[in-house]
Amino acid sequence: MNRKAFSPDAVVVGRSSRMRAVFEFVDVIADSESSVLITGETGTGKELLANLIHHRSGRRAKPFVPVSCAILSETLIEAELFGHERGAFTGALRDRVGRFEMANGGTIFLDDVDDVPLSMQVKLLRVIQTRTIERLGGGQQIPVDVRIITGSKKDLKQMVADGKFREDLYYRLNVIPLSLPPLRERREDIPSLVEHFVKRYAHARSVETKPLSPSVMDAFLRYPWPGNVRELENACERMVQTCSCAHIRTGCVPSSVLFHAKGAVPDAVTPPDGGGDVAAVSLDERLQDVERSLITWALRSAGGNKSRAAELLKVKRSTLGDRIEKLGISA
Amino acid sequence: MSSRERVQAVIDRVRPLLQADGGDVELVDISGATAKVRFTGNCVGCPSAFVTLHLGLETAVREELPEIERLVLV
Repeated sequence: MNRKAFSPDAVVVGRSSRMRAVFEFVDVIADSESSVLITGETGTGKELLANLIHHRSGRRAKPFVPVSCAILSETLIEAELFGHERGAFTGALRDRVGRFEMANGGTIFLDDVDDVPLSMQVKLLRVIQTRTIERLGGGQQIPVDVRIITGSKKDLKQMVADGKFREDLYYRLNVIPLSLPPLRERREDIPSLVEHFVKRYAHARSVETKPLSPSVMDAFLRYPWPGNVRELENACERMVQTCSCAHIRTGCVPSSVLFHAKGAVPDAVTPPDGGGDVAAVSLDERLQDVERSLITWALRSAGGNKSRAAELLKVKRSTLGDRIEKLGISA
Repeated sequence: MSSRERVQAVIDRVRPLLQADGGDVELVDISGATAKVRFTGNCVGCPSAFVTLHLGLETAVREELPEIERLVLV
């Protein structure tokens, strides 16, 4: 629970237009009391952003309490959020204050709210409406003054449509929606993020910050970063920890990043070279091969998202659909 | 594509980066399930680079060519 001293400006890095827009929006909404729903893939920095909002708000002197709702059982989530009285269940040896009470006067950040089971969603809704909680095994209504920020990996609106998330709760949480872009959609931030983390980890080890070769940055720029900033941070930590010479070069880049196949555009245009013999080549078949390999590459790079893949190939979404069908590619 | 060309294609994914850093990697030979490669220049002799380059290349090659089981440095 004890968090390190937080200095948001030193931690949240991003000069891309997408991130600048996010920061400007944060300044606008920080002081409001409304609930905020932050949507973003894993590792995009939802908790950091929630912390930033808290520290820019009038509640900054009070606690910021982050809690992940991706806890296995419902009883555990309930005990975690609302606390319990002694003897409420086996193992409840003493009274325990829940996260809502801990956050009193401040902000609670409920991460992974998409993982909250339906039955638990009702209880959450009641807390938000009444601003009171009831400890497990206790009959007393305890008032709490808490600003609620939630984080979700999935599109909650879609979950509502699928019947997996309560609509009433969704509207309560989604008063101010904020979405964090994945790193692959703000690649221009990669260099400054790398510099930031390399400097930070060198500082943590009390060593000089070593220069990075341009190849290292090239490898980082072409990798799609499915784990987003968290993955990039880990890669930087690894490089600083393992580099044994005076310069961070290609050999220090984690192999998962360096050897990543999907980042490289396939080279399907090299003419077939049969050595001395010149064999006939079917232009149609060859073009189909090129088409198939580029479409497969685009679909993989776009994580299966056809609209995005169509953008990568600079064709219309419908055109891509037709070609996929013609070539019998399984997306 | 022959096995040799396919191993070469995996190597070519990282070769330009290595070359820009004053290093290089060369496919020497393929015999049976073993591919022999040689790293030269910068990063040779660094234990971290050994893990990244040798094991990373071996993993990448094996993923794409199941018939290759080992990558040996010569």
